[in-house]
Amino acid sequence: MPSPTDAEIFTRWANTEAPLLPILHAFHDRDGFLGEKAIHAISEALRTPIADLYGTVTFYHHFAQQAPGQSAPRVCTGPICKLKGADALLDAMRGEGATPMACSGRCDDPVPVLKGHQTLVACDGQMTPWYSPIPIPNPGGLEECVFASIREPDRGTHDGYRRTGGYLGLEKALATDPAAVRQTISDSGLAGRGGAGFPTGRKWDAVAEDPRGPKTIVCNADEGEPGCFKDRTLMDLDPHAVIEGMAIAAHATGATRGFIYLRYEYPETAQILERALKEARATGLLGGQTGFDLWVRRGGGAYICGEETSLLNSLEGKHPFPRNRPPFPVTHGYENLPTVVNNVETLASVPPILSNGADWYRQLGTGEHAGTKVISLSGDVLRPGNYEVPLGLPLSKLLHEWAGGVPEGRAIQAVTMAGLSGGFLAREGLDVTLDEPSIRAQGSFLGAGGIMVLDDSRDMVAVAHSAMEFFAHESCGKCFPCRIGTARLTERLGSGGPASFESWREEVDDIGSTMKATSACGLGMAAPLITESLARWFPDQVETHLNSTTS
Amino acid sequence: MIQQGQEEPAAIPTVNIDGANVPFTEGETLYEICSRQKKDVPTLCYDPRLDPFGGCRLCVVELEGARNPVASCTTRATAGMKVRTKTEAIENHRRTLLELVVSENRQVEVDELAGYASQELKILVERYDANRGRFQGKQSGQSRDDDDNPFILRDYDQCISCYRCVRVCAEQEGDHAISVMNRGFDTRITTEFNGLLRDSDCTFCGQCVQTCPTGALADKKALKHVDVPGKIEKTRSVCPYCGVGCSVDLLSKGDKLVGVLPAMDGPANEGALCVKGQFAFGFVQHDDRLKTPMVRDEDGKLHATSWDNALDRAAEGLRAVVERHGREALYAIASGRAPHEAAYTMQKMMRAGWGLNHIDNCSRA
Ligand SMILES: Cc1cc2nc3c(=O)[nH]c(=O)nc-3n(C[C@H](O)[C@H](O)[C@H](O)COP(=O)(O)O)c2cc1C
Ligand code: SF4
Ligand code: SF4
Ligand code: SF4
Ligand code: FES
Repeated sequence: MPSPTDAEIFTRWANTEAPLLPILHAFHDRDGFLGEKAIHAISEALRTPIADLYGTVTFYHHFAQQAPGQSAPRVCTGPICKLKGADALLDAMRGEGATPMACSGRCDDPVPVLKGHQTLVACDGQMTPWYSPIPIPNPGGLEECVFASIREPDRGTHDGYRRTGGYLGLEKALATDPAAVRQTISDSGLAGRGGAGFPTGRKWDAVAEDPRGPKTIVCNADEGEPGCFKDRTLMDLDPHAVIEGMAIAAHATGATRGFIYLRYEYPETAQILERALKEARATGLLGGQTGFDLWVRRGGGAYICGEETSLLNSLEGKHPFPRNRPPFPVTHGYENLPTVVNNVETLASVPPILSNGADWYRQLGTGEHAGTKVISLSGDVLRPGNYEVPLGLPLSKLLHEWAGGVPEGRAIQAVTMAGLSGGFLAREGLDVTLDEPSIRAQGSFLGAGGIMVLDDSRDMVAVAHSAMEFFAHESCGKCFPCRIGTARLTERLGSGGPASFESWREEVDDIGSTMKATSACGLGMAAPLITESLARWFPDQVETHLNSTTS
Repeated sequence: MIQQGQEEPAAIPTVNIDGANVPFTEGETLYEICSRQKKDVPTLCYDPRLDPFGGCRLCVVELEGARNPVASCTTRATAGMKVRTKTEAIENHRRTLLELVVSENRQVEVDELAGYASQELKILVERYDANRGRFQGKQSGQSRDDDDNPFILRDYDQCISCYRCVRVCAEQEGDHAISVMNRGFDTRITTEFNGLLRDSDCTFCGQCVQTCPTGALADKKALKHVDVPGKIEKTRSVCPYCGVGCSVDLLSKGDKLVGVLPAMDGPANEGALCVKGQFAFGFVQHDDRLKTPMVRDEDGKLHATSWDNALDRAAEGLRAVVERHGREALYAIASGRAPHEAAYTMQKMMRAGWGLNHIDNCSRA
C-alpha cells in the first residue's frame, strides 16, 4: 500500500469524531515520527494553535519527534519485567535504538518488546510475535461471568461469538425498556472494574436522565496500571463482548456514539477490535438503523489517560491534564455532554448479566459481595495469568490453590494491590479476602485487580523505587503535590534524601500525607501508598537501604 | 420573627465559612467567597481573570462530608456547605506544598521590578516559614538564556509550573504563543518546537510576565533599573499610545521612569496591555529626546530656538495655509508619544480654534 499523502490523511480523518489522535497516528505510522512539517500541517488542518499541538504531542511517551522513531524497539521495564531481566535485554538491544517503556500490560508473558505494530518476545534467542494466552480455568470449576465462554473456539469472530450465546443479551436489551435494562444492571450490583468501583447502574441512570445530547459511551481500554493485563485478554479473545456491552449501554442511556480508548501498547488488539467492529457493522449490530456507532481511538502512551477526564481531554485533542470535578463525565463528558465512561471488564460483564439476570450475577460473589472480578496475577507465582474470582475469595486461596504458590524453596514476601496503586501487603496483611472492604481495612485497595507477587528473594526498596519511578514518569504535571512529590519520593527510594531513618520517615510521611490529601487526581493520591506500605511492612529493609547508600 | 400572614422571604442561599453563614450568588467558587470574607486563602496558580485551574492546591479547604480537602478555587458553592479554611491540618499541607515548591526553585527572592505578581511566592514562603531546606533533590525548569528578545526574560530555573503564563496567553490574549511540553517533573513552558519567542506567535504583550508569581518570566527593561537607587513609586496614568485608554501604573525611582505595570482595575483594560503600553516607554527619558523647540531656517536645517519664536512660526504657517486653502485644509495628528496634555491642547485648538474635527492620533494598537 503506498503511503498516504497529507491530503489523503485529512480527507480520511478531519471530519470524523475525535480526529486528532487518528491523525497523529496516521502521520506517525507514515513517517515514523511526528516532525515539524507534520505538526505544521496538522495544526493548519485542524485549526489548532501550533504551540498547543506541539506541547500535547510531547506529552505522549510513544510519539517520536525524530527518526528512528516508531521503528525503534521499546522494551518493557515495568516492575515484573525488571525482575525478569528487562534491563539486560534493553542493554542488549540498545544497538538497535531500543528505549524503555513503562509496564506494557503483559506481566504474565516473557519481557515484551514493542516494535512498530508488533509485540515480540525473546524466545530461544529469536524475537517472535506473541499473542494473549487463554486464561487458565480455575481449579474448583467455579462459575465465571466474563470468562465463561472465552475459551470457546472462534469466540473472537462474530459467528463464533453468536454460536456461544453472544448478542443474546443485546437482543434481550433491545426488546426491553431502557429504564428496565438499567434497573437490571443496578440490581446485579455491578460496580466499576476500572479501579474506582462506582455502581454502574447509577452511572447509566445519570447519563440517561440528563436531557442533553448527543450522548457518548466510552470504553476505557487504556489499561496503564502496571500489573494489569485483563482488559487486553478480554478484548483479544472476546472483542464482541465489549462491543455488545457498549451497544447495551447505548440503548440503556440513549447514547448515539461510542469510543474504545485503547492504550498505544496494544497494537494487535487494535486490529482485532477493528475486525470485530467491521463484522458488527456488516451484520447490522452497529451503525445505520441501530442509531449507535463506535470507533477505536488509540492513545499515545500515557498512564494518566486512563483517568477518565484526562482520557476525555485526550479524545477531544486537548492537553491530557485531568479536568476539575465536579462536574463529572456523566453530565460533562465528551464535548461537555453526558458520557458513560466504563472499563472494558465492566462492559464485558453486561451481556451475560442481561442474558442470565441480575440475581445470577449477584450470587457469583461470596456472601454479600456481588459478582466476580478478574485478577491479573504476575510475578513470583507458578501460574501467572488472569483469573476470574468470586468477590470475597481469600487471597491465599488464589495464590496457592489457583496459581500454584511461589516457586519451590521460596516464601511470599509481599504482594502489590491494584497493580501498583494499592501499595504492598505483607505478613498478616495477606490474610485478606478479594473485595474492597477487606483490603481497604489494610490501608490498600483492590482497584483494577492487578496483583504482583514478590517472594522473599526480592529487594523491596528496589521494587518500591521502580514503582515510584513509574508514578513520577507518568505524573501529568498539572498539580504541585504529585509533580514534585513523586520526584522527591523517587529520590528518597534511590540514593537521595536524608540518611537517617527518622528524618527519612518524617520527610516521606509529610510528602505522602500531603499528596494523599491534596492531589488533583487518583495518581497523586495513590502513589504514596507505595512508601507508606513499604515503611509499614519493611522498615528494616529501608534502614538497610539508607545505611548502604550513605556508607 | 415571621409574623402570621406575612410571606416568608425567599431564603438566600448561604455557605458556612469558619462558622459564619455567608450568602453567595449562583456560580461563585468557595475561593471567591473566601476572598470576599478576607480569609487570605493562599494561592499560586490563581489569577482572578483566568479560568480556575486547580494546580497549586494551596487553596485547599476542609469541606464537611468530603473525604479529602477540596481546592476552593475550582469548587462551586452550593447551599449549606460547611467549610473550614485554616485548620492545623490544612495549614500543614500548605506548608509542605510550599516547601516542595521551594525545593525545586533556585531562588525565592526576586526584585519587584520583575513583574506585577513576582512577589507572590516569596510572600507565601515567608508567611509559612517554608524555606527550611527540606525535600532537597533535583530541580526542574531550564532557563532560556539564548532568547535574546529585548523584553521578556525567560528564567525558567525559577518556574514552578503554575501555567498562569500559558493560560493568560490563551485565555486573555488569544495568542496561544506558549504551551506546556512534556509531563510530570519534566514539564516545561515552551513555544512551538521549543524555540525563541520572536519566532513564535508572541506579540510581546507582557501579560505572561505580569501574571508570573515567581519572576521566572520577568520584564527585562524594568530589571535594567534594579541598581538605580531609591524606592519604587507608582503613579496611575493612562497609556498614551492609542484610543483604548489602558490604565497603567508608572514605576519610578526618584525622577527616573523605570517600568510600567498594567492596572488590574483599569476599566478599559482590566490588567491587559499591548507591547507598546507595556514596554515602549524608553523614549520618555531618552537622550535623543528634544528638550527645546526647533525651527527649520532658510538653510533647510533645524535650529534650536525660543518657545516664543517657535510658536510665532507655527502660527504664521497655519495662518498662511488657511488664507490660501481655507480652514478645511487643516488636519492635525497627535503623537502617541506626546503627553496627554499636549494631545488635549491639540484637539482643543482644532475644534475650538477652527471649528474642525480633523484630528487623529498616530497610534494604532
Ligand atoms: C491515574 C488513573 C488511571 C486510571 N486508569 C484506568 C484505566 O487504565 N482503565 C480504566 O478502566 N480505568 C482507569 N482509571 C479509572 C477511571 O478514571 C474510571 O474510574 C473508570 O474508567 C470508570 O469505569 P468503571 O466505572 O467501569 O470502572 C484510572 C484512574 C486513575 C486515577
Ligand atoms: S495527581 Fe498527578 S497525575 Fe493527577 S492531576 Fe495531579 S499531577 Fe496530574
Ligand atoms: S508576551 Fe503576550 S503573546 Fe507573548 S507569550 Fe506572553 S502573553 Fe503570550
Ligand atoms: S513561567 Fe511563571 S507563570 Fe509560567 S508556569 Fe512558570 S512560574 Fe508559572
Ligand atoms: S489556587 Fe486553587 S489550586 Fe491553585
